[in-house]
Amino acid sequence: MELARDLWSLLQQSGHPLTRPAVTPLTQQTATPPAGTGVVDTHGTTVIAVKFDRGVINVGDRRATANFAVMYDRAEKVLPIDDYTLLAISGSFARAMEVVRYLRTAFKLFERTYLQPMSLEGKLAELARVVRAGVPEALQGIGGFIPLLTTYDLEGQEGRIFFYDGMGARFESTEFGAAGSGSLQIRGVFDYIVKTKKPFHQMTREEALREALLLLDIAADLDAATGGWQKVLPLAKTITADGIEDVSEEELRTLVAEIDRTTRENASPHRNS
Amino acid sequence: MYTPFDFNEAIGHKKEYIEDNLREGSPVVGMAYDGGLLLLTMRRTQRKIYEIYDRQMFSAIGKQADIENVRLSSIQYAHQEGFERSPDDVSVQRLVGFYLSPALKKAFGDQWAAPFIIRCLFAESGRTPEQDVFLTLNYDGEFRQHRRVAVIAGTQRAEDRMLERLSDNRPPLSRDEALRQAVWAWTAGARESLKATSRISRDIEEEEPIPLYEIDEAEADRVFLRDELKTAQLEVGLLERRANRESRFRLMREDELQDLLSTII
Repeated sequence: MELARDLWSLLQQSGHPLTRPAVTPLTQQTATPPAGTGVVDTHGTTVIAVKFDRGVINVGDRRATANFAVMYDRAEKVLPIDDYTLLAISGSFARAMEVVRYLRTAFKLFERTYLQPMSLEGKLAELARVVRAGVPEALQGIGGFIPLLTTYDLEGQEGRIFFYDGMGARFESTEFGAAGSGSLQIRGVFDYIVKTKKPFHQMTREEALREALLLLDIAADLDAATGGWQKVLPLAKTITADGIEDVSEEELRTLVAEIDRTTRENASPHRNS
Repeated sequence: MYTPFDFNEAIGHKKEYIEDNLREGSPVVGMAYDGGLLLLTMRRTQRKIYEIYDRQMFSAIGKQADIENVRLSSIQYAHQEGFERSPDDVSVQRLVGFYLSPALKKAFGDQWAAPFIIRCLFAESGRTPEQDVFLTLNYDGEFRQHRRVAVIAGTQRAEDRMLERLSDNRPPLSRDEALRQAVWAWTAGARESLKATSRISRDIEEEEPIPLYEIDEAEADRVFLRDELKTAQLEVGLLERRANRESRFRLMREDELQDLLSTII
């Protein structure tokens, strides 16, 4: 019975497409395909992570789009990959989902094989590897995705946030992170909150959750691909020393209603004439 | 010239060689209880009960290299299947029947291959207690399905003794009650294995009665178990149906095992 070192080499042996992206050689590539042809992949939009005093909060809208079409309004874009780690995804849904399943399995396989959990560094490197492997496809316009990894560091007893670029470079953020089409529009708002209120890691869970939802609301206002919460509530999860927990629908509903009320009260009256 | 007789002879020698090596293995007991499944054994140095996948665990007796080979192959097969298809499609029946059994059979039947010196016990926790299953797999690829109770030991006689002990259990059992029964079944099997070894070393066919031992079986078991615990350690793996985790497997902690033993001896 043949043994492989890890899931990656196992999948390479069996020729799984995750490890061998289908790429047309550069010499055979034509110019940009005419509009309206080819594969249009479904994209996830805005995901946000902020720290709070006991860990990290993740929120995400529920919209998935393909070009100008809304494909799905109940997409889950914040997904657990082990008991203390969440992966928030933006960009190509197909590849991101495959990667989430890959990571879940790879971490479990490692732990069961070697009888010790994979280190945080090891997990981050594993994620970089799958992002990097998708670059050739992403260059051809499909399959590109940007992940946001949040985890609770049991040794350091703090939440941690890591974000990636399309090539697999990894950066650690001290306070917050965001990815997806709506993330650029709200980038400055994070800094404004930290500079005028207080750093996210000093906020209570409720304070940080309120700010994260407000940021998501602004992203939905400013980015056409980010879904609002009129129809479906956004998703929110926390990671603390006790593991991953969903923020209850009831709590979300209350906070969302409060934010909506403030928005209405502060809106200036219409003046057309 | 190579004749069918030589084939029989060769297989016979192989079997004898393997059985010799398995004889002293510390037995493993598998039992169902009201909240899941358990595997129980006693170990000296190496850990003996392992997680295979979300709902599967495994233990074996034999040569460490072979046990490790089967363990790693099983884990690998299960995870590849779980990723390429779905975790729901991973089952010990498929793992053993499709993947492990043919490989073991091949190594056993092949004159020029080293056979696996191993006897395995797999446990799988199903969606409902009725779907819980144990599978025993032998070095020659033979496998058998069991419900509620399963054992492996160094000799057939030791396994029979253990099953005798467990024959009158009435489900559902609480975890502690199942563990108590499993400990005594293990003791019965281990004592029988020991007798077999001493019979062979003294070249005796049938066992001679040892008067003092036979007077009080229960007392003899207690003495034996107490003696074993001086050099060995109890090990219990659980598949908990209502685990709040993705994986149902966990090893029982040291303090839990101490509590258990204090109520038994």
